[in-house]
Amino acid sequence: MTPAPTPLLEMRGLAKRFGAQVALQDVSLAIAAGEVHALAGENGAGKSTLMAILSGALAPDEGEILWEGRPVGLPDVRSAQALGISIVHQEPQLVASLSVAENIGLGRLPHRAGPLRLVDTGAMRAAARAALGLLGVTVPVEAAVGAIGVAQRQLVAVARALHFGARLIILDEPTSSLSLGEIEALLTSLRALRARGTTLVYISHRLEELRAIADRVTVLRDGRVVTTAPMGAMDNEALITAMSGRELAADLQTGPPPPGAEPRLRVRDLAQAGRLHAFTLDVREGEVVGLAGLMGAGRSRVLRTIFGADRRTAGVVEVRAAGGWRAVHDVASAIAAGVGLVPEDRRALGLVFTATVCDNVGLRTPPDARRWGLLLSRVLRALAEAAVATLRIKARGIDDPVRTLSGGNQQKVVLGRWLRDTRVLLLDEPTRGVDVSAKAEIHRHLRALAASSVALLVASSEIPELLALCDRIVVMRQGRVAGELPRDRATPAEILSLATGATERRAS
Amino acid sequence: MTRTPWWQRLAPLLGLFLLCLVLSLASPHFLTVDNLLNVLRQSAINAILALGQLLVIITAGIDLSIGSMVGLTIVVLTLLMRHGVSALLAAALTLGLGTLIGLGNGLLLTRLRLPHPFISTLGTLNVARGAALLLAGGVPISGLPPGFRAGVAGSLLGVPMPVVIAAVAYLITHVFLSRTVYGRDLYAIGGNREAARLCGIPVDRRLNLAYALSGAAAALAAVVLAARMNSGFPLAGTGAELDAIAAVIIGGASFFGGVGTVGGTLIGALIIGFLRNGLNLLDVSAFWQMIVIGVVIVVAVWIDVLRQRVGRAA
Repeated sequence: MTPAPTPLLEMRGLAKRFGAQVALQDVSLAIAAGEVHALAGENGAGKSTLMAILSGALAPDEGEILWEGRPVGLPDVRSAQALGISIVHQEPQLVASLSVAENIGLGRLPHRAGPLRLVDTGAMRAAARAALGLLGVTVPVEAAVGAIGVAQRQLVAVARALHFGARLIILDEPTSSLSLGEIEALLTSLRALRARGTTLVYISHRLEELRAIADRVTVLRDGRVVTTAPMGAMDNEALITAMSGRELAADLQTGPPPPGAEPRLRVRDLAQAGRLHAFTLDVREGEVVGLAGLMGAGRSRVLRTIFGADRRTAGVVEVRAAGGWRAVHDVASAIAAGVGLVPEDRRALGLVFTATVCDNVGLRTPPDARRWGLLLSRVLRALAEAAVATLRIKARGIDDPVRTLSGGNQQKVVLGRWLRDTRVLLLDEPTRGVDVSAKAEIHRHLRALAASSVALLVASSEIPELLALCDRIVVMRQGRVAGELPRDRATPAEILSLATGATERRAS
Repeated sequence: MTRTPWWQRLAPLLGLFLLCLVLSLASPHFLTVDNLLNVLRQSAINAILALGQLLVIITAGIDLSIGSMVGLTIVVLTLLMRHGVSALLAAALTLGLGTLIGLGNGLLLTRLRLPHPFISTLGTLNVARGAALLLAGGVPISGLPPGFRAGVAGSLLGVPMPVVIAAVAYLITHVFLSRTVYGRDLYAIGGNREAARLCGIPVDRRLNLAYALSGAAAALAAVVLAARMNSGFPLAGTGAELDAIAAVIIGGASFFGGVGTVGGTLIGALIIGFLRNGLNLLDVSAFWQMIVIGVVIVVAVWIDVLRQRVGRAA
């Protein structure tokens, strides 16, 4: 038996505690040179802590780290970088006002001789182009980072790591804000890197993505390594079970709404000059309609315009309430008519981070929770308690600050606002950045809402999510409806071809 | 809106207590009923101004114009009374004027969409001061009806009236912030304006309200000040906005918005008042007082930063 080659990076018995809380325990893991190693696990499983240790941002309490077989200390980010370990964060940490080339070289800009240390712009740009070339992409290096797309920013961050001589690059959920086409392009670039021998550690919640890129996968749960296995040896079910520690109910779907179900939401020729064109749609009570499309196709815009959060230039939105059809023209009339919006970005648009779970649920204050301008805290607290119970929000209590909750539970808090008095619920990426079991719970909740005859309109960049959840999928392209697919005819390929314009189909 | 652990909420109170302890050890004149009432009376005006500033800072805004509004409203108030308007009506009109100017600040922000209230209220700061000087012809206005001074600057059951007025204002504002829809909305807007909007909160109307109330607080402070000085000085309140901001920030509010309490602001105003008084008793020069207060502001906010870091790690 020949001894296995020395791994590029090996961790032995790593442990880390924060106060009484054990974040990592006895974590041993070997990353082989040249492999793409996926790291999977729910939020709070210890992925971030582990990556912070590897990138030198955090010191372990116990255990050792070996680089090419030699024990090393990683007291800070610089020493990890010097060894060749770089991390690319979910939101790339770049300076928006500086150019792509400056961002790639930042901290190590080539300069001319002399006391002024003038930046050698030519050399800087050449180095940036070379680093981007390794990824097989061309990004205008003179452009300001603020002016390029999110996908390109990810590539710039990776190029920056390469420019610093990284041999091991940790990618922390690099695709969480990318569209399908962009994800595919990023994965292609990463494959080009692997072909050059760069080692990658890849963190993502999206199983399809892990499957598309990773050679091996390590699953973490509750701060421990559950398993390390070749990617091909684990099917999705095995992965989910390993991550969550329990079997998940696979079948989310209840039946479609009965054929006689009446429309709840009626949208006619909704438009926003130059961005959204003649969007027409009916959603029936108890129906879940999906909105698919590439990044920038206008999914979020449709939801926000229906809700009245973005101004429309033409069109009619109506909701059928007890007394007949009610027109919606702004946020206040939307809410009064029973329309709710779960926005795309819970941190920026959904939650007040300085406030508690109770206050965040009660932010949309139902009329019976206020009297003469006074808040009725009894009603608001009951509302929050109901949200915690129904959605199984994991918090010590409704007075917990919402920032102490995990991403999935924060998302449930946003959902909890619309538990009551909601006739139409608009959801924008309802499970982005949410771990698998919270995702399953959110899906189950949405189906339950549909079963209680709420009309749902769900925008998502994850096609599997739409296929699992929706009765019908509307595909958008460049601000227009490109086509519509009933559930039994919808396939990822069909959706993609409509989204990219490969086929055009009239809405039926 | 936010529920912080008790030891964190008590930190400013502890600071105030320690300050009083040190001062009472340092000076035999400090811990007397007369002196304490004196501090309260002197702090009342800053405390009232800080109350308005608190509402605005909770929304992640700032109101730089309150000192100048004191100047303008005190001139208008005293002119009205000198022209024979009854004290009560003059005071009511003055409060109305302060509210209107404050509303103007709000409208500059919400209608003209100026990028930050720093700019709109900086404009108002200059406009209001200029108007005050024009109206008064650059000189103090005196000769107020005697009943006015007795009524507003006198005392009620031994407690100075300014203190009574401030106490009532604090009570009302406390209820406003902690129990009403409007108060809760201000916290929400400061914490996350977009989230508040998507929950159907009328953000612009609430911001207008916060700035209008800040103007009303400035006018109320002007009424009290006019009675204490028995005149209307067009330069009254110069720089007062900075003491008010200091009181709010020492009291634990955050410039980032969404955080701050009436109780904390009261303590902040008292810390500044006791500090000034103590330094006076100890014969420390006014120049040194400025330096000490500057240091206290920085240290208080630094302690707050440390507290939050500890709170986050726990």
